[in-house]
Amino acid sequence: MHTNAAIIGVGQSAYTRRPQPGQSTHTFIRDAVVAALADAEIDPREVDGLAVASFSLAPDAAVWLVQDTNGGSSAMNMLGHALRAVETGAASVILVTGGDATGLGGYAKVAANFNIVTQLHLAPLGHGGPNGVYALVTSRQMKTYGLQKSDYGHLAIAQRAWAAHNPYAVYRAPMTMQDYLAAPLVADPLSRYDCVPVVAGAQAIVIAYPDRCPRGRASLRVRAHRASFNYDNQEGDGLQTGISTFAGELWRAAGVGPEDIDVASIYDDYPALVLAQLNDLGMIPGSDLARFARRDIGERRFPLNTWGGMLSAGQPGGPAGGLNGISEAVLQLQHRAGARQVDGARLAVTTGYGMTLYRYGGTAAAAVLERAE
Amino acid sequence: MNRGVAIWRCVKCRTGFFPRRFLCSRCHGDAFEEDRVYQAVVEEISTIRHMLGQTDWQPRRIASVRTSDGQQITVGLTDESEPGTVIELFEENAAPFGAAKK
Repeated sequence: MHTNAAIIGVGQSAYTRRPQPGQSTHTFIRDAVVAALADAEIDPREVDGLAVASFSLAPDAAVWLVQDTNGGSSAMNMLGHALRAVETGAASVILVTGGDATGLGGYAKVAANFNIVTQLHLAPLGHGGPNGVYALVTSRQMKTYGLQKSDYGHLAIAQRAWAAHNPYAVYRAPMTMQDYLAAPLVADPLSRYDCVPVVAGAQAIVIAYPDRCPRGRASLRVRAHRASFNYDNQEGDGLQTGISTFAGELWRAAGVGPEDIDVASIYDDYPALVLAQLNDLGMIPGSDLARFARRDIGERRFPLNTWGGMLSAGQPGGPAGGLNGISEAVLQLQHRAGARQVDGARLAVTTGYGMTLYRYGGTAAAAVLERAE
Repeated sequence: MNRGVAIWRCVKCRTGFFPRRFLCSRCHGDAFEEDRVYQAVVEEISTIRHMLGQTDWQPRRIASVRTSDGQQITVGLTDESEPGTVIELFEENAAPFGAAKK
């Protein structure tokens, strides 16, 4: 358990589908950083550590602590680095931030040039970037677990209902199953509402000693944090994530179990990956993904991605998308989530998933967060 | 267009890989020789109907296939092959494609 480091503030910029002239990755990150420091009640001069992740900062780079390159896992990785840095005294106040403002065309270039394998073996096929990769994973998951298209719809619809209470979400209008099923196909079996919308925006969180938590606010403790990198050399089917390699250890270290969790922020660039991560975490009884989607999500029994998730709020690049899930968990545990507050939330699990090496993501990370009374 | 698809075979344990590796994940050997696979079975298919940033996109089919040597690779399908179809592999530059075996 991390007892000498805590998340003491969170902040974000506005999200927009189409950045305007004068807006850039840098301006969005600035806005998120200013908001997070204000939320943490920290003077900028006190910050002595910085962690940044972005697909669109180049040629600029972070100058102190770390620049993480693990996409959807970056936020969780940076959180781990920051916790350890504060606990070991390497820094006392660390800003962890991520953001992107690639625009749709810019993101298409990122997706086609994600790594050499993608450049050589996938992009020339017209694979459609991550949409094509995860369309194939989704088909495999449907076949393996007996899932219907509508099962994924329950996730998209439930998250859209949460997004209605998030003023930062780019899509807040209610969605019905009819809307979901009628949406145009993007990459079979994925349709519009299965594919995370790319937005411009940024997120930031502040890590410091727990006693720096603003007065009158419950401190936020990280009970356990684990990460996995290239867990199977891309030799599996992608239906298990790296979380499967450390979930037991995560829960043991946290001293709690999946059944104790009040709210979950699960990295959601595609609904299939949400189910895969929840299953790896041991949060789907009997690995019955279909029942979980229909009952626990469809009937709103389980608070999942309560800010709307990236599927409704938008994905400002993978790094900031992951930070959004952490930030939401912090707000929920500090009972600051407004109309989307989960009553009495005390424990949360957050995840990251990313780095599509070839056929699926190669990195994953998770943390168990606790409201410290 | 070249017949078959290049794979990289570990000289030490003979495991074949696609994409290319520089260390063998099975025996940690560091020497590979190029080999070719010519057939695969289609496992999953997707039609890419929309491409970010493009307005005149023509749908294309891709598939996850298992080669006769055991690798799971992603190919472009140039015909209407369905899951279970045995396809012949070919490559354009380094990109793998396939079509039903005639």
